[in-house]
Amino acid sequence: MNQQIISFPKDSGPSLVANEWQVWNGEQDEGAPFISNELAHGLNKVLVPFHWWITHHKNADIIERANKGEIGVWFASDDDILKHADMIEAGKALWPVVAAHFPIFRDGRSFSTAALLRQRFHWQKEVRAIGDVLIDQLLQGARVGFDAFELRPDQDLQVGLKQFNLFSVTTQNSWRGKRSLLEA
Amino acid sequence: MYKYDAIDQTLVDQRVAQFRDQVSRRINGTLAEEEFRPLRLQNGLYHQRHAYMLRVAIPYGLLSAKQLRTLALIADKYDRGYGHFTTRQNIQFNWIELEQTPDILAELAKVEMHAIQTSGNCIRNITSDAFAGVAGDEYIDPRPVCELLRQWSTLHPEFAHLPRKFKFAINGAKVDRTVLLCHDVGIELKKNTKGELVADIYAGGGMGRTPILGSLIKQDVPWQVLPSYLTALLRVYNRFGRRDNLYKARIKILVKALGPEEFARQVEGEWAHIQNTDDNFTQAEWDRVAKHFTKPAYKTLSALTTEQLIASTPESEKAAFARWLERNVKSHQVAGYASVILSLKPHGTVAPGDATVAQMNAIADLSDQYSFGELRVTHEQNLVLADVEQSKLLELWQAAKQQHVALPNIGLLTDIIACPGGDFCSLANAKSLPIAKAIQERFDNLDYLFDLGDISLNISGCINSCGHHHVGNIGVLGVDKDGEEWYQITLGGEQGNDAAIGKVIGPSFYADEIPDVVTNIINTYVEHRADDESFIDAYRRIGVTPFKEASYKNAKKKVKAEDLNENAASQS
Repeated sequence: MNQQIISFPKDSGPSLVANEWQVWNGEQDEGAPFISNELAHGLNKVLVPFHWWITHHKNADIIERANKGEIGVWFASDDDILKHADMIEAGKALWPVVAAHFPIFRDGRSFSTAALLRQRFHWQKEVRAIGDVLIDQLLQGARVGFDAFELRPDQDLQVGLKQFNLFSVTTQNSWRGKRSLLEA
Repeated sequence: MYKYDAIDQTLVDQRVAQFRDQVSRRINGTLAEEEFRPLRLQNGLYHQRHAYMLRVAIPYGLLSAKQLRTLALIADKYDRGYGHFTTRQNIQFNWIELEQTPDILAELAKVEMHAIQTSGNCIRNITSDAFAGVAGDEYIDPRPVCELLRQWSTLHPEFAHLPRKFKFAINGAKVDRTVLLCHDVGIELKKNTKGELVADIYAGGGMGRTPILGSLIKQDVPWQVLPSYLTALLRVYNRFGRRDNLYKARIKILVKALGPEEFARQVEGEWAHIQNTDDNFTQAEWDRVAKHFTKPAYKTLSALTTEQLIASTPESEKAAFARWLERNVKSHQVAGYASVILSLKPHGTVAPGDATVAQMNAIADLSDQYSFGELRVTHEQNLVLADVEQSKLLELWQAAKQQHVALPNIGLLTDIIACPGGDFCSLANAKSLPIAKAIQERFDNLDYLFDLGDISLNISGCINSCGHHHVGNIGVLGVDKDGEEWYQITLGGEQGNDAAIGKVIGPSFYADEIPDVVTNIINTYVEHRADDESFIDAYRRIGVTPFKEASYKNAKKKVKAEDLNENAASQS
């Protein structure tokens, strides 16, 4: 995992921050109490696959961890989040962070996932981009609703930080703001 | 025509800077080719057989004289002295150096042009009627909606990585000149009973490997809410379009799999949540854009009849001028004016749709002199001077002849639509340009072409169908078999209001057989036609069989098992 992520809250500038959330792929699940093998390095916050959450969220150990704010979920690119609206609404009270995954940078489904999380579910907390996240997707991601990016490890974070102010104008609304209009 | 405001100009300038940085990261090796590829495609840059090709957008086909001169400058300075106008109102330069593309884009930005989204899996350049605003059969001038949607779709973040490319066409005339039903989304503008501007939305049309005509999925969408409706439509496609198979990734496959009703229902379900947002267009935005599409300063003139136009022509030129008037001059909304099509389809001397630097500069001058300094690019790869005084037609015809763009073959057999094919394109299975040339040379007799009347012949070098062969009355498709170039013939395709997908007639032919095959098809038509029945009407009346029999009567090759297989597969 990347030690740092780019954080770009809606109302402030982008910066590098320590990555506190480990993404767990749902494999090597050894049952309760839930401690993934991969959860090394003293990290205790984990993003679990949304489909895994669906089947495990009633387990006592999971409830306990979630109540401590140590569990978020990540949506796979083929998760139909609208089919699980109730669970996502309930998750609003529990998950400090959600993430949407890019299996490959040119798969744009998670752009719509992020847009729906913001527009439909009015998700106010962090939406993180994970997976094959490259420098040249950052600007699009930031506009549809992502406010944190765990980039693929080979990406230059300093170059990444410069991507967000390439454009001073836009011609359609986005999560971050309305389209540019000339002064009357 | 539309003039950029400070927002548009800033956006294209910043896009140039962004791409300059991406190119430099590619050149210094920090950006891998695999990851650069979608980025360059979204700026119209393809890697072809010999060099990079840059495709520049001519949004909804409108071009100013100044812009055309810049295109000429680019062809001269950065390419090999010519450009290729495409079926989707773009121009392509075939011999581009990667390092120079940022400078080319900067040149374009100076004249309010760009290459944004001319390729890639995103919303492509929006196309429309080349005669928008002047056509006699127009209900609604589509250009304000085209421009509003051009802006809305430019660098749209959510739809930057769709399953596959996504093409809009917008029509507002009685006769469809946009191939509306072969687009991912076709927007048909009309007035409702209250006189308000609304749109009918067709979705799921396309050519390629699986040609399908679009289905009507929604009627009477007010123009203001097009952004939210199209967001809903594209969101459904972005989420559920197939990404596992390149050939099944277009929206047409999703619409077909779900059925148009179910697709429409899903779009409606999504739209219900967003239709009242401020994503929608406002009257102020309409006014800002529409003011650029007011009528030019037409003079008050009286309409001239063809006889009057011909009367002042020298005797020796009367017949030729009359032909040109008949084929290349179209009626206009305003008395005393006409629209002129300059043919980029000389017989066999250059590729269909190509124009040289000298021609581009000269045509720019003609537009200044005769048509308010504006031009249009047609789906058939010709250029239009839309607002010419009838009394100047003779003068213009003579000037156009000097530039070899006055051939009176518009809509005739030699007005061939062709993609660049295997001579340039690395996707192509076969060459298209030599086939076009051979057919044009075979039918280099204007009397005969005139007698044949309207026939469209379209050539694609591969199943991606850039030459729109599926909607040609006669379609020619290059196919590869065991490393050899073969050509499959389709008949009965048609664009426009009676759009139809052509049917494959049987096993494919060698390149050198094609002129004979076309001759046999044409002879069959001549033999069977009733009075002045057009080719397509005759085909629809008598069916494919006589044409098919004639096509194979001197075929060199016996039908091989593999041909049959190929034929069966292509019709499945």
